[in-house]
Amino acid sequence: MRRLPGIRLTAEVRHQSALIARDPGPMIGYVVMGLLLITVLRPLYAALGHLVQPAPLSGIDQAAAGMAVMFSLFALKVGAAHVLNERTWHTWDRLRASPAGFGEILAGKALPIFGALVVQQAILFGFSAAVFGLRPSAGWWALALCAVVWSACVLLLGFGASTLARSPAQLGAGGDVFALLTTVLGGSLVPVALLPGWLQHLAPASPGYWALDAYRSALVAGPAQLGRPLAMLGVFGLIGAGLACLIGSGRRFALPPRARSRDERSRCVPGDRPTRT
Amino acid sequence: MTGALEAVGLRKRFGATTALAGFDLDVGAGEIVGLVGHNGAGKTTFARAAVGLVTPDNGMLRIEGFDVARHSKRTRPLVGLAPQELALYPTATARQNLHIFAGLYGLRRREAQRRIAQLADDLVLTDILERRVRELSGGQQRRLQAATAMVHRPSVLLLDEPTVGADPITRDALLTVVRSAARQGAAVVYTTHYLPELDALEATVAVADRGQIVARGERASLLAAVPGRAVVEFDCAPPALAVPAGGSVDVCAVDRRLTITAPDPGAMLVPILAAHPDVAAHLQTIELHPPTLDDLYRHLLRT
Repeated sequence: MRRLPGIRLTAEVRHQSALIARDPGPMIGYVVMGLLLITVLRPLYAALGHLVQPAPLSGIDQAAAGMAVMFSLFALKVGAAHVLNERTWHTWDRLRASPAGFGEILAGKALPIFGALVVQQAILFGFSAAVFGLRPSAGWWALALCAVVWSACVLLLGFGASTLARSPAQLGAGGDVFALLTTVLGGSLVPVALLPGWLQHLAPASPGYWALDAYRSALVAGPAQLGRPLAMLGVFGLIGAGLACLIGSGRRFALPPRARSRDERSRCVPGDRPTRT
Repeated sequence: MTGALEAVGLRKRFGATTALAGFDLDVGAGEIVGLVGHNGAGKTTFARAAVGLVTPDNGMLRIEGFDVARHSKRTRPLVGLAPQELALYPTATARQNLHIFAGLYGLRRREAQRRIAQLADDLVLTDILERRVRELSGGQQRRLQAATAMVHRPSVLLLDEPTVGADPITRDALLTVVRSAARQGAAVVYTTHYLPELDALEATVAVADRGQIVARGERASLLAAVPGRAVVEFDCAPPALAVPAGGSVDVCAVDRRLTITAPDPGAMLVPILAAHPDVAAHLQTIELHPPTLDDLYRHLLRT
């Protein structure tokens, strides 16, 4: 029997895609909400553009880029949940016990989630182009490059988040706070120029800030200005990947066996007095 | 018999807790070993060590001659593990669960489909292959979990309490498949608290206690050292019988019943009754209870 990494990776990608397809609700929600808010907020951002000098982005540019950043940050939870589920379902240990290596397992999980994030971005920008005439001045390739790099960054941050969370509830609450904070701080909801001064100084600490900067470069500034924000997104992605590798391959994923499960307690032999060793 | 699985002097501590304290076990190809012991005796830690999920502090663990710690890439494909807790994808179908584990162990899709069809047939899973795992009963999930461990035809099969919560039909189907795997050459370590299953599997027995194997061998030879019982019922209060002194003989009279506990109570009863011909008229019934694996388990772990 041939045991090729390619067979394993194909099986993992197919399986992860099936898991996403089995539970598409959250991802669909984050697309639909994005479409609605783009439609609703576009006139507001167009009006705000007159208050911010020089105008940072047109109404549709700000609405499309802002909502793409905001809802991909919320979708970060979806990616993280797929990794966390492996722990709550106890399947993580079975993956680790298989011939697949740690990197191979993560790649098998990452590729379909990454694909879903890219598709989400594509739908939001495609809708903005088709309905509101959005046109990236640097070209569609530049916008696509931003979407790919930002999606990879979100994916890796999600993997990092999954190693920090101990339960789905914790991930849900923490993920919402993180997404909203990063969105607000990055200027996706309210342009950075309109934020309080002290918040404006903190804005570059948010990956959302650099994602919006990258999209701004693709939409209005030009490809020459893409380098810095994309590099910063790479740094944030590496932080997430570092967390996933350092914590994920170590103690948080390799929990010692539990002393006794409920099943065990119900199956004690009569007269048996379990002892702790 | 060459050891498909060999563990020598395994030691493992989790903080202040000693999980393995010199754990020795040798399982040959085609052999089924029933691993029994108290909760916390080290059975699960041993199973996890065999698949590389736990690294022993000391000792040697080999799968088909390869050291698990040093050659995990060679040993992992050889082992199938069905852990104690359910470890399946609840939102995926039974078939999808089988496919992912087949793929992880390198089975190509067509080969996997054939193997899944065969296992599903053997484990009575065919009708539920397209249903989501979370919709299945506990017994069906247990069978599916065992199937995921066997889908790649491992040469070492570790089943950690695979029949917990299973109904008799589920249990029978599973035991049949385990016997079949052993006949095809797999070394099977079958952890259970339900000892009659080991009789059904005709397994040799290893008893674990406090991280060590305290007894290991054929069931018959292990049972020979365990007292059985003879219960004699009279139509009046039991007479005082002259019971041979010494050894591990215990006589207990309650109401009209006399219970003799001894290594071979039947053989002991004959000369006793022959020496008291007057009591024969009062005899109602004699029941002989040879020692069972349950008795062995209690006998070994009582001290």
